[in-house]
Amino acid sequence: MTAPRSSLVRNILLAVTVVGAAGTAGVYVSVARERFWVNWLLWTLFLLTLGLGNLFLVALERLVGAHWSVPMRRVPERIASLIPLAVVLLLIGFFGVPVIFPWTQPAAAYNPILVAKTAWLNLPFFAIRLAVCAATWMLFYRFYVRGSLRQDESKDPAFTVRARRLAPAFMVVFFFSVTILAFDWISGLEPEWYSDMFGVYLFAGTFVSGIAAMLLGVLSLVRRGRLPEVQSKHVYNLGSLGLAFTVFFAYIGFAQYMLIWYANLPEEVIWFKHRIEGAWQPVALLLPLFHFFIPFFLLIGAVGKKHSATLRMAALSILLGHFVDLYWLVFPVLGPKPLFGWPELAMACFFLGLGFLQIRRAMGHGADMPVGDPLLSRGLEWQP
Amino acid sequence: MSGATFAVLGLFSDAHKIVEAAKQIRPRKLGRLEAYTPYPVHGLDRAIGLEPSRLGRLVMLMGVLGAGLALLFEGWVSAVDYPLVTGGKPLFSWQAFVPVMFEVTVLFATFTAGLAMLFAFNKLPFFGHPVLHSRAIKDITRDKLALSIEAISAVFDVEAARQALFNNGAESVEIVPVLTWDRPLSLVGLLRTIAAIGAACLVAGASLYAAEKLMPIVPPMIHMEDQPKLNAFRESAFFANRRGMRPAVAGTVARGHLPTAFATPEEAGVLLSNPLPLTQPIAERGRKVFNDHCAICHGTVGDGVPLLSRAYGGKPGNFLSNEIRARPDGHYFGVLMLGKNAMPSYAADLDEDDRWAAVHYIRILQRAQNAKDEDLR
Repeated sequence: MTAPRSSLVRNILLAVTVVGAAGTAGVYVSVARERFWVNWLLWTLFLLTLGLGNLFLVALERLVGAHWSVPMRRVPERIASLIPLAVVLLLIGFFGVPVIFPWTQPAAAYNPILVAKTAWLNLPFFAIRLAVCAATWMLFYRFYVRGSLRQDESKDPAFTVRARRLAPAFMVVFFFSVTILAFDWISGLEPEWYSDMFGVYLFAGTFVSGIAAMLLGVLSLVRRGRLPEVQSKHVYNLGSLGLAFTVFFAYIGFAQYMLIWYANLPEEVIWFKHRIEGAWQPVALLLPLFHFFIPFFLLIGAVGKKHSATLRMAALSILLGHFVDLYWLVFPVLGPKPLFGWPELAMACFFLGLGFLQIRRAMGHGADMPVGDPLLSRGLEWQP
Repeated sequence: MSGATFAVLGLFSDAHKIVEAAKQIRPRKLGRLEAYTPYPVHGLDRAIGLEPSRLGRLVMLMGVLGAGLALLFEGWVSAVDYPLVTGGKPLFSWQAFVPVMFEVTVLFATFTAGLAMLFAFNKLPFFGHPVLHSRAIKDITRDKLALSIEAISAVFDVEAARQALFNNGAESVEIVPVLTWDRPLSLVGLLRTIAAIGAACLVAGASLYAAEKLMPIVPPMIHMEDQPKLNAFRESAFFANRRGMRPAVAGTVARGHLPTAFATPEEAGVLLSNPLPLTQPIAERGRKVFNDHCAICHGTVGDGVPLLSRAYGGKPGNFLSNEIRARPDGHYFGVLMLGKNAMPSYAADLDEDDRWAAVHYIRILQRAQNAKDEDLR
């Protein structure tokens, strides 16, 4: 009964991806090269942040020794499998660096601000940072996700201990790498601009959209009866975490905006001026709507966190908000009007298709619960 | 057993049993169910029929109200009641209001949560609960769980409640009487309370005084008057010459003021001429400057009869006199800048255009009082 439906979904995904791939090739050939690479960057960042957010959730559980999330941990581990895919896409994206990053262009030699930043903004160092970040993510991904899958068979409690011991190191490295990702690949698009908080801002978006993706995954597995032992109290807690970090994101985002607005320094303000005035204003208004107001008011009450329909709506809103966020960060370099046409749709099909195929592939590995984890029974018995 | 019964108390030692007992007894409607446990028991609130708390909705409402009120108040203060441009921002700058809105939201929400929980929902203050005077209270605060059936009407069947508790696994049952107060308040008790509060105030005040005055090495607080700062015309250790401020570099010109090349009004009369054309707006500006600054001594028509009371002993110049009328424009300008006799300098109050506009207006006043024939035609 399920097998034909499953293969039907797979075929649809494959078809979407293939059509998207053809469209992406068409974009590369027929549309401005800049637009192609900005799209590439947008969707790579989308997949990468979802993967990193979920890897962070896995490591956070190890770090604080949480029990309640253990029964659901296989979901973030599977979504984290977006990391290898996104890392490959990011490495391909390196070819777009000379096209979309102004500091790589000859005119940068005549810009005193960029000349002062050449110690950081130069291609060899950029490539080294990219390689180190990518290697770190892959290393920790393999350690946490493969290790957990292996534990299904071996039931070896030593892995749980090792995973906890390594978690603090992961946290430090993770924050550095996400900050580098934010500075290099997003704020580097307008290299005169400068904001200390930008790394934290990207981390906040990454974390809360990671929670949203995990929530959607858990809810869909629960609905299909594949996580029969996960109860509403577990999902409730996940909803609480989502609520808390929705507020955290709004706090960080507003703090960054307000400080720059108050100080009113030209080289900082221009970045926001391009993004909140003129044709970009509607996009700037959608961002807090999807990323904060809708999920906040859906999740604030106890009732909302108990109903899967409400939780799903909040999670979808956060993910949509995360897309709007990245679009709003990256796309204004293409001009004063938000571009959204067939090239964007084609590349969205390609990347989202790839992402879903990757997660489906990961769903074939291991049990739906980390059955080898010695903490699993405590997680199932956990009382709020 | 004297007096009315407040409740029948059944003791349990198993959390599952008390939940089961509550579920069994509740439909029999013997009385209001209440539970006393040394730790929270999952599901017991539902079993004794407690509704989910309405506190959350109240907190939400008050939080939203707090945000709205803060926005209204800040908007009214900044844009309506006292409009003052700060940092070149618009008067109604919502960005600047958000931190205060956030704080007021939290303030309203937490106060509502705390105060409504204590006083509205838990009905405090509450002096002495009957169960606190029961024999079972020692066990309840240690390791036993108690289910009580409270009498809510006159037809409370004590025996039926006892039986119901025993049948559902209570280990022992106690009948708690209604609390009666023999002497609710005594004069001695009242005086003792007042004395204790007074003593506490005395000790707190004395220790703060001692900390501040007798132990100046570690003052408990630093007063603003004691902070390190520069006092005007006082010696300071900051600069090598022990002055508090650096003297201005020779030849410094105040912003918006051109250097002057004259030392007396007579020199100014020779050197300067009025650069402003005589137009309606400039004459209006001159009238404003004159009425604001000059008329108080020189009179509104410039006749030197002061508006100030006669008690003022000075003799302001009469602009209408032939002697002063004959002075060139630059002379007036020079007097405004340098002052003359009892008149102080207005260099700091009026910028150059204001001074020249005032000179124009003085000429208009002089002409008005000495009109020629052709002016009347």
